[in-house]
Amino acid sequence: MIRRRVAVAGIGQTEFAKALPKTAWELALEAVRAALADAGVDPADVDGMCRFAPPFEQVSEPMLVRALGIRELAFFAEAPLGGEALGAVVAHASAAIACGLASVVVCYRAISQSRGGRFGRADRGGPSSSSAGDQRDQAPAADVVVPEEDNRSFAWPYGLMSPGQLFALWATRYAAVHGLTNEDLTQALGTVAITQRGYANRNPAAMMRDRKLDWESYRAARVISSPLRLFDLCLENDGACAVVLTSAEVAASLRADPVYVLSATQSLSPYREPMGIYTDDLIELFPPAAAERLFGQAGVGRGDVDVAELYDATSFMTLKGLESYGFVPDGRAWRYLTETGIGPDSPLPVNTHGGHLSEGYLHGLNGMTEAVRQLRGTASNQVAGAEVALVGAPSGSAMILAR
Amino acid sequence: MAIVPGFSDLTRPYWEQARQGRLVVQHCAACDRIWHPPLPACPGCQSARTGWREVSGDGTVYTFTVVTHPTHFAFADQVPYVVAIVELAEGPRLVTGITGCAPEAVRVGMPVRVCYQRVTDDITLPCFEPVNR
Repeated sequence: MIRRRVAVAGIGQTEFAKALPKTAWELALEAVRAALADAGVDPADVDGMCRFAPPFEQVSEPMLVRALGIRELAFFAEAPLGGEALGAVVAHASAAIACGLASVVVCYRAISQSRGGRFGRADRGGPSSSSAGDQRDQAPAADVVVPEEDNRSFAWPYGLMSPGQLFALWATRYAAVHGLTNEDLTQALGTVAITQRGYANRNPAAMMRDRKLDWESYRAARVISSPLRLFDLCLENDGACAVVLTSAEVAASLRADPVYVLSATQSLSPYREPMGIYTDDLIELFPPAAAERLFGQAGVGRGDVDVAELYDATSFMTLKGLESYGFVPDGRAWRYLTETGIGPDSPLPVNTHGGHLSEGYLHGLNGMTEAVRQLRGTASNQVAGAEVALVGAPSGSAMILAR
Repeated sequence: MAIVPGFSDLTRPYWEQARQGRLVVQHCAACDRIWHPPLPACPGCQSARTGWREVSGDGTVYTFTVVTHPTHFAFADQVPYVVAIVELAEGPRLVTGITGCAPEAVRVGMPVRVCYQRVTDDITLPCFEPVNR
């Protein structure tokens, strides 16, 4: 088990914006340098890296090793499946440190959607559109042939092409199974979107720091893919985040306030890959055993968690994450949201940076940097006395951190 | 233009049968299991003795969304359209479209039956429409 053998010694991030002049490579370098400076580590001393696998992460280890002047990496690894790499990169890095394969491991995520394609588009070179990704704005006369890859050829011809559409299918199913009216679902999802926007309004790093969101605007927003409205969907942006992991001993020598990794896990079962549509129970995001493993290895219970940063490609995933990680019984999160909520004064503040909906979309790694700030006591929306934080992606790739 | 499925050896029979107005799913001759989408071997017993079996075409809507904002230019003039997951009477689920009713009339649990939409000379998409009772 990892339990406190590994710690976060440094975090770094760039500005987040719809379009930045820097390339993903430049953004990655900026975030990694910032994280190393935060840790007090010379870039030359980095000996491990763990990144989100392509096609998501386009900045390779060699690009960073060259540009940062790293002497030699003794360990480098990639975790696949997009957001499912969130807990995985920390798990792999922690295992490498605990086994002595490396002593200073950098995890990073750099995104330039302004250059590489918006994730919500299936036709402009987004990461899920490698073959149907015509760059032109004019419709070509020829048919677009969808390659038979990950069952995409059974979905795209029907117009199921973007993550937002898939998560709309989840939300519809959830409402039907648990007997929600349209208004029940609107109130639950709107509570997520508006609460997270409130956090973003108080977070200087958030893209939506100056944009208020009230119920009137939320309800009036156009529907993208029913039941999801514009404000239920995450931002599309440029930016980068990085974290520096070391052994607990090294971290304690570097800074007074290391944040320890209690556990980090990943999970894969049939059709529960991202965009998987054929799971036995579509809205069970991952096997309950995965959450038990996460908490069991951490040695803490749900009640010990002071703040949670849940991967929110849509507002529905914040809702369902509360159930999947075991904070609220199955089928009750919608009511919990409207009655108790996830705001600053709630028992469990969630997505205190604004999340992907309102801070920026960094494949969950900005949730990790926020959790570290919370545990250091330096967050913009500081949860008083926060000692334990959960950072979780939708299919069970997650971590529990503690000060 | 249209968005059409590419074939592999594994998936070609599904689309060839659809073109002839038949809905088929993979079947294991060893343990009699059926499943969709196609796999190289039976996910239950790992037998490679897989074949295809025609299903009734009856099913229910497992979940759906009405897409009002197209994410690909090929669908720009088709919004609003319905994407659904239909659970076949025989068990497997598939992604499909719902036709033959207004998008706002679609409900989870609604009984539907397969129909066929010819897209090109080579491609016919199995879709579903409400069962009129």
